[in-house]
Formats: sequence, C-alpha cells, structure tokens
Amino acid sequence: MARPHIEPFVDRDIAFKNMLLPGFGRGMSYKILSMDNETGACTMTVQLAGGYSQVPGFSWSEWEMIVIEGELQLDGRTVRKGHYFYVPAGYAMPAVSSEKGALLLMMYNTGEPSLVEATDHHALCQTNLYHDVDTYLDITWAPGNIVKPSVASGVMIKLLNYNPISHAMTFLYCMTPAFYQDNISYHDCAEESYHLWGTSWMMQFGDVPTGGYFWRPAYINHGAFASEFGCIALGRVDSKLYNHFHYNPWSTPVQNQKRAAARVYQRDPLLYRWMVSYSHNHPHGPEDFEQTVQLRGKDYPNNEPATDGHQHSHWHTHEHHHDDDHDQ
Amino acid sequence: MTFKNLFIEHERSKEEQDWVEEELAEQGQRFEKIEQNMRDLAPERARWYEEFFDRLSIRGFNADGDQKVKIKREDLPVKPEGQEDRVVWKYGTESDETEK
Repeated sequence: MARPHIEPFVDRDIAFKNMLLPGFGRGMSYKILSMDNETGACTMTVQLAGGYSQVPGFSWSEWEMIVIEGELQLDGRTVRKGHYFYVPAGYAMPAVSSEKGALLLMMYNTGEPSLVEATDHHALCQTNLYHDVDTYLDITWAPGNIVKPSVASGVMIKLLNYNPISHAMTFLYCMTPAFYQDNISYHDCAEESYHLWGTSWMMQFGDVPTGGYFWRPAYINHGAFASEFGCIALGRVDSKLYNHFHYNPWSTPVQNQKRAAARVYQRDPLLYRWMVSYSHNHPHGPEDFEQTVQLRGKDYPNNEPATDGHQHSHWHTHEHHHDDDHDQ
Repeated sequence: MTFKNLFIEHERSKEEQDWVEEELAEQGQRFEKIEQNMRDLAPERARWYEEFFDRLSIRGFNADGDQKVKIKREDLPVKPEGQEDRVVWKYGTESDETEK
C-alpha cells in the first residue's frame, strides 16, 4: 500500500550501492530514499562515475530527474546542476554520458527503475509530455502563495511540472534566511521533498539538512516551520495541494482527514450530500464526462467550419431611427 | 505518484523482483529507525510545542500567509490524556487506530 512515511531521513547517513539492474551500465550507484511496496516506484539519489555512459532507451515508468551536481552530456549538449527532466513512460532518451561524473535525484513514478535499449519511443508513449529545463537559469522565482490559505512570505517557488487533471506538481522551493511560519499544516495529498542545499526545521521532526528527505502520506501534521540560514529543495505533491492550517500538535491523521471532510461539507454542502448518498462511493470516483464523451473524430461528416469564426447570428442589428415613437 | 500515471504493462523479471524486495526490506529497517528516533525526540519536541504556544499567544498564528491571529492562552489545546506524542504514521490514516 503505497510508500511509507519516511521523515526525516538524510541520504548522507547511508552508502551508495552499485546499480545492478539491467540496462543502466557500470558506474551508476544509488541510495533509495523511498519506495512503493506494490509498484516499486521509488525516489533515489544517484551518483554517476566520471566516464559513465548509458545506451539510448526508455523506461516502463514515467520518471523525473534533476541534476544536483556535475554535468551530463546528451543529444550533443551539456546540462548542469539544476537541470530538470520530465520523461513520460516509454519515451526513448538518447545516449547519456557524464565525462566528469554527476550527482542526480531520480524519481520513478509508476514502477521500479528500468531501461530498455531503444531509439524509438514505445507505441503507447505520450511523447508530447516530455520536457526539460535549466531550472536555475531559465525559470525565475515566484512568490509561494500559489494556493490559499498560503505559506508566509519568504517561501519562493519555481513550478517544474503540473498535471491539470490531478493538480499534482513538481517544484523547486526555497526559504529565505530567518524564515518562519507559526502554524501546523497537513494536506489531502502525499508530499515529498529533497533538500538540495541548506537546512529547514519542522516542529515535529527537527532539522532537515542538505541531503535531507521526506515522503509524507496525506493528513500528517507538519510545522511550525523555520529556516535560520535558508534552503533550496525539490518538492512534489501527488494531487491538489491544500493547506489545512491549525495549531493542535496532537491531532491524528484520521482526525485531520475528518476535519478536511467537514470543511468540504461546510463549503460545498450540495456536493458533499450527493457524494455520501445514493451509494456514490465508487473507489475510482464518478464519471467525468469530459473524459468519456464521444468525440467527432477525424472521419466525422461535414466537419469543416461553415462560417469564418467571427459570426454571431444571435446579435440584432442596432437600427436607430429618430422618428420612432418611444414609450419613454 | 504524479502526473499522467502512465505505466506501460510489462512483466517484472526475477532479477527486478529480487531487487525490489531487497530494497523494501531495507526500507522497513529504515522506517523502524526513524520511528525510534522520533520517539526519542519527544522530550525536546514537548519544549518546542510550548515555545510554539507562546509565540501563538504573543506574536500570532499564521492563519493565511502573513495574516497573524493572536490565540488567547485559554484557547490553546490540551494534550489528550494518555495519548503518546506521535509524529510518524507509517501509512497515514491506515496506521491510525482512531475511529474512522
């Protein structure tokens, strides 16, 4: 059942192990930070030795990666620290090498790490979702108040990936020196973070330094928050991020979940009533017609526009006559 | 986890299965160590809770962003009698014995 609560954990406390799974080649070592006990999906820090090279190929799982230190060469270019990749399942990456070595954070989202040698994408791959970016130089920091209620001033973010359906996000965040926020938070989603640099503090778990990590299931209290000298981290949430703030350090996950449901009842009573009545409790949720509606498709007859796209035949021509008899 | 959650069906080899099982076993040990460390932190955390309550009543609770609300001392919560100060929950709500 999913990944367990791993918090706090510091990857500096364990040694790298040689990656022996097929496809990855020699010179790759790793530390597992968390792993899903059903799917094998995992997050790991990875060290590539100088001179490492990897064949072109795809993974059965979608995966993400950010360069922590060092450089990678791929596709005739060099990428450096802060470079982020989102790679859909089945997407054939070019050959990758590291002349001088590199330290990476890799996240396999839907299955264990895999690399199948290939130069063509898998037929099922959603190739349009692939993207990579130099997050340090090509994205600017934005205020962290992207959701309400929001974090205090002093948290900044860079959004790296966003799922418009689930609202899952991958983002960089930083805390400015002397940041503090005096509340306790929990979310309706799982949350993950890896400290690329610096130390932050949470009232439940103490200091999280460089290399510090957590995978936190939904509804678990965290905060108050502080960072004496600042930090920068990569964060992820697996669905919509909502900050349920409070100040009771002894509430449990079930109590927090009930409070979240109570707030839905208070805010959206009609929707809540519908959801809990008439057996509308299918585990995969009710039907979303936007995902199931029949579409015209390519062979639909007479599917070309009949107008130039500027017509509104419902508009009435405004004819104004000075000699009309007006009632008023 | 995130995003389109596309997983292309394939058969996991014995080598991959063994690798996953070995890593999960290590993760189990790691979790137990974390859980113990967090139990050991409880006395210090109790002091942090009291300092937190002092800041809430003197400087204020961050209700939304920088909006601060001072909490009266009489409105601060009390630790439920007999309840352990627990901060690690292996599978979140599934690991919580509170009546669901």
